[in-house]
Amino acid sequence: MALSIKQQLNSPGGLLKFLVKYNTIFIFVLLVIFSAIISDVFFTSANLSNLLKQVSGIGIISIGMLIVILTGGIDLSVGSMVALLAVIFAMLINVIILPLAILFTICIGFGLGSISGYLVAFQKMAPFVATLALMTIARGLGFIYSNGSPVTFKTAGGVFMSDFANNSTLGLPNISIIFFLVVIIAMIMLKYNVFGRLVIAIGSNEEAARLSGIKVNKYKFLVYAISGALAAVAAIVVASRTNLGSPNMGMAWELDAIAAVVIGGASLNGGRGTAINTLMGVLILGLIGNILNLLNVPSYPQQVVKGAIIIFAVLLQRFESK
Amino acid sequence: MKDTANNYRLEMTGIEKSFGLVSVLKGVNLKVKPGEIHALLGENGAGKSTLIKILSGVHQKDAGNVLLDGETIQPKNTHEGQMLGINVVYQELSLVNDLSVAENIYLHKLGANKVWMNWKKLISEAKALVDSLGFSIDVTAKVRNLSIVQKQVVEIAKAIAEDTKVLVLDEPTTVFDPNDIKKLFNNLRRLKQDGVSIIYISHHLDEIFEIADTITVLRDGVDTGSVAVSETNTDAVIHLMIGRALEDLYPIRTIEIGKKPVLVVKNLEGKRGIVKDVSFSVNAGEVLGIAGLGGSGRTETGKLIFGAHRKKSGIITLNGVEIHAKSPVDAVGYQIGFVSEDRKEEGVFLPLSIRRNISVTNFDSISSKLGFINTKDEYKNILDLIQRLNIKTPHSEVDVKNLSGGNQQKVALAKWLSIDSKVIIIDEPTRGVDVGAKIEIYNLINEVAKKGVAVVVISSDMPEIMGISDRILVMHEGRNYGELSKKEFSEENILRYAIGKPLKQETLIS
Repeated sequence: MALSIKQQLNSPGGLLKFLVKYNTIFIFVLLVIFSAIISDVFFTSANLSNLLKQVSGIGIISIGMLIVILTGGIDLSVGSMVALLAVIFAMLINVIILPLAILFTICIGFGLGSISGYLVAFQKMAPFVATLALMTIARGLGFIYSNGSPVTFKTAGGVFMSDFANNSTLGLPNISIIFFLVVIIAMIMLKYNVFGRLVIAIGSNEEAARLSGIKVNKYKFLVYAISGALAAVAAIVVASRTNLGSPNMGMAWELDAIAAVVIGGASLNGGRGTAINTLMGVLILGLIGNILNLLNVPSYPQQVVKGAIIIFAVLLQRFESK
Repeated sequence: MKDTANNYRLEMTGIEKSFGLVSVLKGVNLKVKPGEIHALLGENGAGKSTLIKILSGVHQKDAGNVLLDGETIQPKNTHEGQMLGINVVYQELSLVNDLSVAENIYLHKLGANKVWMNWKKLISEAKALVDSLGFSIDVTAKVRNLSIVQKQVVEIAKAIAEDTKVLVLDEPTTVFDPNDIKKLFNNLRRLKQDGVSIIYISHHLDEIFEIADTITVLRDGVDTGSVAVSETNTDAVIHLMIGRALEDLYPIRTIEIGKKPVLVVKNLEGKRGIVKDVSFSVNAGEVLGIAGLGGSGRTETGKLIFGAHRKKSGIITLNGVEIHAKSPVDAVGYQIGFVSEDRKEEGVFLPLSIRRNISVTNFDSISSKLGFINTKDEYKNILDLIQRLNIKTPHSEVDVKNLSGGNQQKVALAKWLSIDSKVIIIDEPTRGVDVGAKIEIYNLINEVAKKGVAVVVISSDMPEIMGISDRILVMHEGRNYGELSKKEFSEENILRYAIGKPLKQETLIS
């Protein structure tokens, strides 16, 4: 039913409209071209796979963030959850077999997310407040369990995970494959599954959703639990990459995740946003960091550029909604 | 003669306006004298709103001329419009929920000239103004806590708080009951005597014939000329509006009403205390109207049955079995549907497509056990409904916010038609809907009843409720005060029950 790309380009002002509509992809492509011109190192496989490895952790929690934001909520706890869950995973891997360690970590993530979900959905607490509390609690627990210092992997399971996390399959880093799998599952669930439809419906008008007989509370609860489970997946990925779980991991990642979702065109009021655009948002943020590193720009100016890109992307999207 | 010709307060001539490729106004003329109430009529999409928005400064015209007291004006925004003395009361309420009534009324003055506000003076002025309108509202209350009727009053107070030369009222009475309308009209007549020019937009022709002096009808972006109210009649105006004669607004009902009641409500009482004691029953294929003044508990009754609000006591049975709908989820499980009076806030998902709107209630039949949607089934269902309900749209992927009020209402109804419902409760089925779409919605209600659904229609539009109901329940202060059979239908009888008085003797005998 949607117009084909060719039709869109041929309509009056079509090229501009097309660029505005697909602005995240457009910005992404521009950045890739720009990076390739400006740096010889950019298009080397070492750099690209490094870039993918760097964004995978934040990418996974960004998908969780997207699902929460689609309902009109927000999850500030994910960065701290990554730290706590990485510590827990490192502790578990040293005492029980690997599959169980992975399973338990994800279950604990789901459980922690459920607490936010319960507070938001059933206690009607503002998402910002509930997840802010969880953010502090998770960070604190991370420090308590680890005594403030990183917990290193000591067993064969740890060696296996570390190998897995640092190797590639068919040229793609294994951890980025996990990230892409998460994106693909989210795409399918959001587009072709009732879950996604209802999450978007709730985000675009919660009262209308309630009066349509939708189990609003159940879905609001679930999105936070899923976000927590994805934080666990991200924790496993980043812990395995560095062979340890540290309570200092994931600092301010929730903000990067929100930025990625917003750059991807999602509305913080809920109801608008897609997994593929969030993927673009994640890659755009990663690319900016990558190219600025290649240009030897120090990290402080990098933050300024990141902020400017967020503003630019959101301004572009305002055209689209007009 | 020359004198009167030049005596117009407002002259809009040859106004043209396009949005993109869509030409909305194609040379419209509108002339209003001082102290005149001028009705602006037309179906949704005819261009009324656009014309008003050009007048007030929201939109800029492409061509044409606007003269105010003989001088060309071109307000670039609503503030400039207000400075010129043009004030609009829009259909969508535009109040700030978290400010008090007084602050809202004088919002434009807050921080305008002085650094400090004289709250005492402001509050007493606001109170005097609201009192003079004949409504009692606590001006220090937050707007959030007002009823929708009170909000509309504040909106009107806000508009006339300024030095108004031209006052535009866009569907001001949709939320009013007859009593409130009377008060509003008294106020309009007073403003008229003060020489204010009033442009009155409404779909209620009976109101127009009561209050207006002159009528201008818009159709497809052109005006069909102005006529004095005294020189025309309802049929002629409807003919001008829709371009054809209107035989009958309401469908002829030839449905055999079932013998057994489908829905029975006994001594219903709500936790909020608005509904105190309501009992009634509806049979299969029957349309039961619920009338009553604003605040009498009509809407609350519907929401209690649907589980949207919690009941305190009372028994509700469906086909003889007692049900306990603690939430809309339960009610939908019992095959009860509900269409809210507040279409934009509670009825539809404005930013979502028609398809996504209608499908929300229907996933059981178009998805697998794991929740994966069969898009082929989905499209088939949606396209069927678009055709059946005559929703005017190029395709199913248009966002509902881009549809006219009537088509939005059809989408809200379609949600419940795509699944089998035993009971459908419709609150204000045609609020803000044009004549053409009204007829279609009435036919639709008729068609739904024909399938054996028990239909409850809540409405403050008296001709409407008498036109489509088989029986009318009239509520008064949280109770079902009286019931009218078809032969007892009259505005007077409804009103008498609504204000808590028995019917006159002669009507009781027949």
